[in-house]
Amino acid sequence: MKNKNVRLLRRERGANAVLLGPMYLFTVIFLVGPFVYMIVLSFLSRAETWGVVNEFTLRNYLKIFEPTYLSTFWESIKLAFLVTALVILAGYPFGYFMAKLPAKWRGPVLMLVTIPFWTSSLMRLYGWIVIFRANGLLDKFLMALRLSGEPLKLLYTYPAVVVGMIYALLPFMILSVYSSVEKMDWTLVEAARDLGAGPVKAFFTVTLKCTMPGLMTGVILTFVPSMALFFIADILGGNKIALIGNVIQDQLMKVHDWPFAAALSVILMLMTTLMIFLYRKITGSKDVEGIV
Amino acid sequence: MKRKPVFSTVYLILGLLMMYLPIVIVMVYSFNQSKISSVWDGFSLKWYAELFKDRAFGSALVNSLILGGLSSLFAAVIGTMGAIGTARASLRGKGIMAYIATLPMLTPEIILGMIFLAYFSLIGLPFGMTTLVISHTAFSIPYVFMQVRARLAGLDPSFEEAARDLGAGRARSFFDITLPLILPGIVSGMLLSFAMSMDDVIVSVFVTGVKVNTLPVVIYTQLKTGVTPKVNALCTLMFFATLILVLLSALLGRIGNTKKSK
Amino acid sequence: MKRIVSICLVLAMALLLFAGCSDGEKEKTGGTLNLYTWAEMFDPDVLAGFEEETGIKINYTNFDYDETMLARLEAAEGGDYDLVIADDYIIETVIAEGLAQKLDKSKIENYGNINPIYQGQFYDPADEYTVPYGAGVQTIVYNPDKIQIDVKGYGDLWDAAFEKDLAIIANYRVIVGMAEKVLGYSYNTNDLDQIDEAGELLYKLAPNIRLIKDDNVQDDLVSGEVDAAVMYTSQVTMAKLADPSLKVVYPEEGIGFGIMGMFIPSKAPNADAALAFMDYILRPEVSKASFEYLGYYCTTKAADDLISDEYKEFLVLPSDFKAEDMEMIGNISAEAAEKQDAIWTRFKDLCE
Repeated sequence: MKNKNVRLLRRERGANAVLLGPMYLFTVIFLVGPFVYMIVLSFLSRAETWGVVNEFTLRNYLKIFEPTYLSTFWESIKLAFLVTALVILAGYPFGYFMAKLPAKWRGPVLMLVTIPFWTSSLMRLYGWIVIFRANGLLDKFLMALRLSGEPLKLLYTYPAVVVGMIYALLPFMILSVYSSVEKMDWTLVEAARDLGAGPVKAFFTVTLKCTMPGLMTGVILTFVPSMALFFIADILGGNKIALIGNVIQDQLMKVHDWPFAAALSVILMLMTTLMIFLYRKITGSKDVEGIV
Repeated sequence: MKRKPVFSTVYLILGLLMMYLPIVIVMVYSFNQSKISSVWDGFSLKWYAELFKDRAFGSALVNSLILGGLSSLFAAVIGTMGAIGTARASLRGKGIMAYIATLPMLTPEIILGMIFLAYFSLIGLPFGMTTLVISHTAFSIPYVFMQVRARLAGLDPSFEEAARDLGAGRARSFFDITLPLILPGIVSGMLLSFAMSMDDVIVSVFVTGVKVNTLPVVIYTQLKTGVTPKVNALCTLMFFATLILVLLSALLGRIGNTKKSK
Repeated sequence: MKRIVSICLVLAMALLLFAGCSDGEKEKTGGTLNLYTWAEMFDPDVLAGFEEETGIKINYTNFDYDETMLARLEAAEGGDYDLVIADDYIIETVIAEGLAQKLDKSKIENYGNINPIYQGQFYDPADEYTVPYGAGVQTIVYNPDKIQIDVKGYGDLWDAAFEKDLAIIANYRVIVGMAEKVLGYSYNTNDLDQIDEAGELLYKLAPNIRLIKDDNVQDDLVSGEVDAAVMYTSQVTMAKLADPSLKVVYPEEGIGFGIMGMFIPSKAPNADAALAFMDYILRPEVSKASFEYLGYYCTTKAADDLISDEYKEFLVLPSDFKAEDMEMIGNISAEAAEKQDAIWTRFKDLCE
């Protein structure tokens, strides 16, 4: 009897391993190579005007510590924290309420959330430009409400960039939270309430904990991308706010310093890895649910 | 006993309104006579006329739809299977593999484009739809993978066990129990993937071939002349096309449902 | 959930439908021309005219930056594309890497129509590889109602009259170069001390900067978002057409100049088609249509007289224009480029 169980278990594991096949294949064939190339590139020297020279150097990593680039990193991280926090504040309730809608409404609302993101992001940003423009929609609205007396000139400022980023990243948070809340076991909340917890306490002790995987997925999908979304900083911020993404773009396309750009990207990736690692340490869970 | 969820309904409606506001503005400006987009110069349909004259957009739209459809489909299959496998199989190195598979999402697109270009030319893959689909699948997999993983995490395994105990086969219990439970994750992952693909220009310009131009590429590469209001017209049309498709399928779904309930 | 599945199904069906349509594309007999450049470089009628006349089908695909084009061309080892249009400085690199082929000028009957002022430049000194297609200069454009001072050149931009009201081009070579010009240096100096000096000067410009942007700056100028802008020729054309009261200044310190060139990659599959296309574009009437659409300086001398009065002042160089006042922005050494980039990054930091 025991033997049979072990055999069954083994077959089971084998079948599950087969599921991994396509991902393993795709990763090994199409991803390992490019990423190894990127890491190698980050240790090479740049050629005089274009391309790279096969000489090992640490220059690219040391260059990151130059004050100019360090301050860019710092600015990017600050903005990323701000944007992520605001995206959670706006997106979590949205995803939560969406999941609690009657079943027949969930599908349509889910579609409504995604449709805007099937149109060009440039065009969506352009819509925001019209809103923020001097004497534009927002100015007219605020002046009609007598909240401000003169055009605010909000376009090409920091707040405009923040709004643009929230707008671009919100659906990631909404969809992640939605998919986590939707499958939640509500009896747990009821149990907490029966045990005398108020709605607020029940939310923080039970609901939030159960939806943590979705929330974390949303954070991972928001935090690092917000450092790389250079076109939003360019278009709504008038190019005055240099993010890591802008520096990488400039290094590749204008300065032609590929190795430095590669080194910056490696650092960005390490930062995310660090976030995942910290999450594991703090929660004590063996893997970040929803991620790796 | 049950309160009407007024606050949540208002929140959702306001949120959706904010999401659609910029798009409505773009639509209004697509009827602007002036080439300078900041000046309202009266109502005109001329940008629509120019759009239809310019066949660059038509074929690019077709290419983008094919690309988005194929890559989100591949990403859905690979990502879902990978997520389930990672959750259940005990294979060494699966964590590392899953990590590498999520890297494309954490890498700035421009670097991704460059390393794909270098790699594809190294292995001698001809540039065109194939390379586009591969690279778009690569940056789409993480979206599906993460959505499905979040969905699987904490999913009560006893459901599937119960089904197995009741005599359902492996495949049967998967399709009847697990799949419906993770389907929302797969769908939202696919929707995100499709959106990312339909909006990608940075990776695409690096890995596209001589015959394939995608829509975002046509839109974003007007650097020398400045973006013309033709693009506003295009976005408006695409938006309505999407909306019609969604309504149509919702309608179909309803017909299907009523048939079933009879 | 059923609904979502059916949505996906409908989408898939629509996809297949579209896929079916694209197969129906007719293949014409004269072969194909793989044209590689930015989008919107040609009036669709001009392209259609070429196809009709020659039976050659044009595959028009796009890149965003010159550098992307070079990377793709390297990957294709000079093959895949038949005709590329890109900026001068990158063409210098393309030629140096052996990725362009010499033109068989006997097949370009209209070669003589080119305006000689745009020939013999640094990227192709003997005119062996390229035919120019459009040129631009950087000029200062301002709204005289808002800016009361008399603007003569870049040096005036530091004036407090421009505070928080100036838009500049998002290209570090142009902007650091602006400061270099004010100091009397060359755009292309490799002297690090000179570049440092330019940097220090540039930092003082930060309080005046409202906007750094490459495309569609004319929108901001015309709508009053900014009162003055340093911008490219095509943008000046659009801005002036929308608001004729704007003033255009050719900076007294010297004029930064750029040319876009057509070249044929070294292993182009259909070089003959590319030569035929060059010849076609150089026809005066085709050039007229092209440059009026594009909004850059017309590089076809023979077309100058055809250009309509509406566009004349923007597309034809002023007659008192002296070639000595112009300087093209070429390639500089790696150290100089790095230094300029560090200055640029710091400068952007200071503009808040």
